[in-house]
Amino acid sequence: MSRHPSSPTIAALKNQPLAPDLLQQLQQAAAFKKWPLAKLISLFENRNSDAAQTRHDIARHIQQHPQDFPRDARVIGFTGTPGAGKSSLIAELCRALLQMDANIAIAVLAVDPSSQISGGSILGDRTRMHYGKKEERLFFRSQASNLELGGVSEATFQATRLLRHLFDLIIIETVGIGQSEIDIQFLTDHTFLVMQPLAGDQIQFMKSGIMEVPDSFIVNKCDEEKLARTSYHMLRSSLKQARLVELGALDDYRNAAREQIFLTSALKHLGIDTLAQAVLNIPRRKTAEQCETCYLKKGVQRRYGEFGLRILKNEPDVLTGATTFEEKEFAAQAAIQRHIR
Amino acid sequence: MSDKQAHIIYDKDGKSSKDKPWIFRTYAGHTNVRKSNELYRSNLGKGQTGLSIAFDLATQCGYSSNEDIAKPEIGKVGVPINTLDDFAILFDQIAIDDVNTSMTINGTSMWLLSLYVALAEERGIDLAKLQGTTQNDLIKEFLARGTYVFPPDQSIKLIVDMYEYCLRKIPKWNPSNVCSYHLQEAGATPVQELAYSLVTAITVLDAIRERNCFNADEFEQCVGRVSFFVNAGMRFIEEMCKMRAFTELWDEICQQRYGVKNPKYRLFRYGVQVNSLGLTEEQPENNAWRILIEALGVTLSRDARCRALQLPAWNEALSLPRPWDQQWSLRLQQILAYETDLLEYPDLFAGSPVVQSKVEELKAQARDEIQKILDAGGGIEAIKTGYMKSQLVISQAERMAKINTGEQVVVGKNRWADGIASPLVGGNDGGVFKVDPESAAETLHALEDTIAKRDANKVKACLEKLKEDAKAGRNLMEASIACAHARVSTGEWAGTLREVYGEYRPPTGVEGQSLALENAKLQQVRAKVQTFMDQFGHRPRIVVGKPGLDGHSNGAEMISVAARHAGFDVIYFGIRLSAVDIVQSAIEENVDVIGISLLSGSHNEIIAQLMNELEQEGARDAIPVVLGGIIPQGDIPALMAQGIKAVFTPKDYDLMDIMNKVMDIVLEHKAKRG
Ligand code: B12
Ligand SMILES: Nc1nc2c(ncn2[C@@H]2O[C@H](COP(=O)(O)OP(=O)(O)OP(=O)(O)O)[C@@H](O)[C@H]2O)c(=O)[nH]1
Ligand SMILES: [Mg+2]
Repeated sequence: MSRHPSSPTIAALKNQPLAPDLLQQLQQAAAFKKWPLAKLISLFENRNSDAAQTRHDIARHIQQHPQDFPRDARVIGFTGTPGAGKSSLIAELCRALLQMDANIAIAVLAVDPSSQISGGSILGDRTRMHYGKKEERLFFRSQASNLELGGVSEATFQATRLLRHLFDLIIIETVGIGQSEIDIQFLTDHTFLVMQPLAGDQIQFMKSGIMEVPDSFIVNKCDEEKLARTSYHMLRSSLKQARLVELGALDDYRNAAREQIFLTSALKHLGIDTLAQAVLNIPRRKTAEQCETCYLKKGVQRRYGEFGLRILKNEPDVLTGATTFEEKEFAAQAAIQRHIR
Repeated sequence: MSDKQAHIIYDKDGKSSKDKPWIFRTYAGHTNVRKSNELYRSNLGKGQTGLSIAFDLATQCGYSSNEDIAKPEIGKVGVPINTLDDFAILFDQIAIDDVNTSMTINGTSMWLLSLYVALAEERGIDLAKLQGTTQNDLIKEFLARGTYVFPPDQSIKLIVDMYEYCLRKIPKWNPSNVCSYHLQEAGATPVQELAYSLVTAITVLDAIRERNCFNADEFEQCVGRVSFFVNAGMRFIEEMCKMRAFTELWDEICQQRYGVKNPKYRLFRYGVQVNSLGLTEEQPENNAWRILIEALGVTLSRDARCRALQLPAWNEALSLPRPWDQQWSLRLQQILAYETDLLEYPDLFAGSPVVQSKVEELKAQARDEIQKILDAGGGIEAIKTGYMKSQLVISQAERMAKINTGEQVVVGKNRWADGIASPLVGGNDGGVFKVDPESAAETLHALEDTIAKRDANKVKACLEKLKEDAKAGRNLMEASIACAHARVSTGEWAGTLREVYGEYRPPTGVEGQSLALENAKLQQVRAKVQTFMDQFGHRPRIVVGKPGLDGHSNGAEMISVAARHAGFDVIYFGIRLSAVDIVQSAIEENVDVIGISLLSGSHNEIIAQLMNELEQEGARDAIPVVLGGIIPQGDIPALMAQGIKAVFTPKDYDLMDIMNKVMDIVLEHKAKRG
């Protein structure tokens, strides 16, 4: 099965006004009209080279009209073992957030794995997320990991480029333990690791090195208080052992949130409000700039390896003046090409 | 006496005798209570001793007929029941202290039993005289049948409530019936059927034991109340062995796990409906032979003969059977029982080394599987984790792949498919039964009437009490019976408990599943997918949707797995969605095609809703819609006129043929609209 070329040569970009139909779509999307928004996301996910120009146009338009795009989303990640209850928890969290804050608008990106054989995928996170009614301030999109070795799919990064200007909060769900979990931190302001109680998850995570990624830990499925208590103590002692966090003497599970440990039950709606409150208070840690730089490097590395990265490092000013991600990609490519020639 | 002969059945006086036939059952109910009552009375008049009631999907899922979600379903696949007034008509002139009433009801079992009890009370009938069964097996609803209402733990709690109530008040009632029938219809192998249904029985009995509401004697009686509803497919020798394995394993479980001393309470009592999944739309007359052969599997062996038998009809894969079709199947049973010498012999297979060895193998494999599930936390846990469900999807996908490659022969489908056209489908009605769409009005009027006449304060108080009891974890039978008397409706009862218990969507089991299918057609469709990707920069995206209350998930699951195999990104999120849910997902996900699967007969109404919803979103012509399932030929032109791009029915069994067509539609549509 031939795979889709993930790195076509980047063509030169024109600076031109945004086409009227796209402008209209963008305006509608900013007013939470779902279909125009969905189509724009597809444009950002699109791997064909001609889509880059359109993305560039949109990105420039947004840069030039900041007053039309006042929102500036925090990006948070939920990662953890399959079946830990990430989707259920995100659904409950969204419900709580929408209720707590009458203005908040949330976009969810849920990533599921693609088949190694066919490249296709079954994206099932909606099973837990459906609300039965139209909720304007919530947008849900499934994405396939698309055989992207680099972790959180490139499409996810691309989608956040648009969504961060239209929403207040972007929630990303990723699956599995491995590279994608490590990668998610390049995109997010805050990452939650979701675990199941007493499932030996902690040990598994410690071995994989993933314990170092998350900013907070969630033990979901704490349907009973007893479960919450034991889970809390188990997790705490694992963390202590790994010397990952400095933990005080105080160790009452009811204060767990102070140590960035959340004990929730998506099923019984327990601990959700505490989590929601914490989410609302998450500070910004990354600028859009930083995410772009990071994905730019990933792209360069994929295409040109260490050689490309070195050039970028040695000649940082090749990116000066580039306004959009597309321009940066093009500038980086041009610089590297000069060395190849 | 010494000169007994091995081929003769002797009664307890030592005289040679003959067995009585099993019970012949016909599953019935449709349109509205008046029509169904007429049907039941006519059946009883013909000497039938029991009733087997089919309810419509709204009643099964806990909605009243006047709710939006119920409207397309009223009276379609069974009788609609809203209040006690409906029950009074349904059982008008039927002596409920005399007949044995079996209800195919699950999520709302407690409610329907409460109505039955209330009816008896209003008629002044001694409750101890009531006899019958509520199917009430919720585990198989989550796995295969789809008419669950509450989350798994609460579902089991309601079952235990009913056992507690029935044993004391209606000792002749079977509060639940463990079903393996539906598991086989969802793809289960014989071992899975054995294992998952026995796990179900264990889950229920463990929960009863845990409540600790019975003394040892009562608990034993309770075990004795557990009966089974089993399937029998075309591999009829294996199926016969499966029944023997069931009998032996059940005895083992009753003794070892529950210490049941009285052998009477360890009997594996079971009824059968034979396999329908394998019945074909192509050359439907062949199904008559299939049904006969399947019936042999559960009647041939005396030691493992069913107590009751229910047969599908030759036109199973076309749509609902007409009375004549049901009569034809009933005749099969009568001929088998009365014209042959089947009932004159002791067990024909006792001591057969072949049978014994096969039975032992099935038992050993089933024991392993049961242990595996129990070790991982038991039946409820295996529902929540999706383990059993995904195993069923795997089996179904294997079965489909084998039919697709020809490894599993289905005559008239993948072998000897050419034949003379069947005269059976020639009539004006196309050989199927149709419910009069106007008949729903009567049901809705009756509900309006009852609501107008009932004491609203009393209704409120009863529902309040129900809610309180639910919150406090009390047994809900009494509160439900009070609701029934107060003319509370089905939707109100279920809605109140939904508020307390919440709703639940079980895992779909499809994620990560693949298909063992490699052929030229697959390469062809993957090439089309590649063309699409080169041109449009992303994989084709499809949402596979199951709108309405239809729980038939096999088709949607197989299409999802096949589409992934072909290279689609597939959005599938389970059954029982509204048209709004599906259109919203199609839009948010910006899919290239919407695939709808509908088998329960409400396609005309639901497709209209869906198209209307698409229209409102301005997406009606922008996203092509294809439809699959049980769609009578006569309905297709009107559906196409509404904008459906293609209709697939069971005869379209070749998954890659389907995918090729869907891909063609996608490419063609893109070419037109860009
Ligand atoms: C299996 C089965 C069941 C199983 C379902 C298990 C499951 N999880 O799916 C069980 C036993 C649970 C069941 C229950 C009921 N069933 Co049933 N069941 C069937 C049966 C025998 C086979 C359906 C099937 O699964 N086939 C295998 C799959 C793979 O094929 P398929 O769905 O047809 O899909 C193929 C094509 O149609 C097409 N396709 C289908 N969908 C889509 C979608 C897209 C996008 C595409 C491209 C293609 C496509 O491609 C597929 C691949 O070949 C049919 C009769 C028959 N032989 O067809 C009756 C049938 C559908 N059932 C029927 C009824 C009435 C019921 C009940 C309502 C009975 C009752 N009163 O309680 C219940 C309730 C179920 C509910 N909640 O809705 C009726 C429906 C009558 C009608 N339409 O008027 C039928 C037709 C039987 C009959 N003649 O009476 N059933
Ligand atoms: N008991 C309990 N079950 C839960 C809870 N949250 C989720 N579940 C169940 O756990 C299962 C998996 O839930 P999902 O939300 O799909 O988990 P996920 O982590 O998103 O799964 P993947 O996306 O497949 O990795 C489902 O059966 C849920 O009903 C909880 O708080 N308590
Ligand atoms: Mg998920």
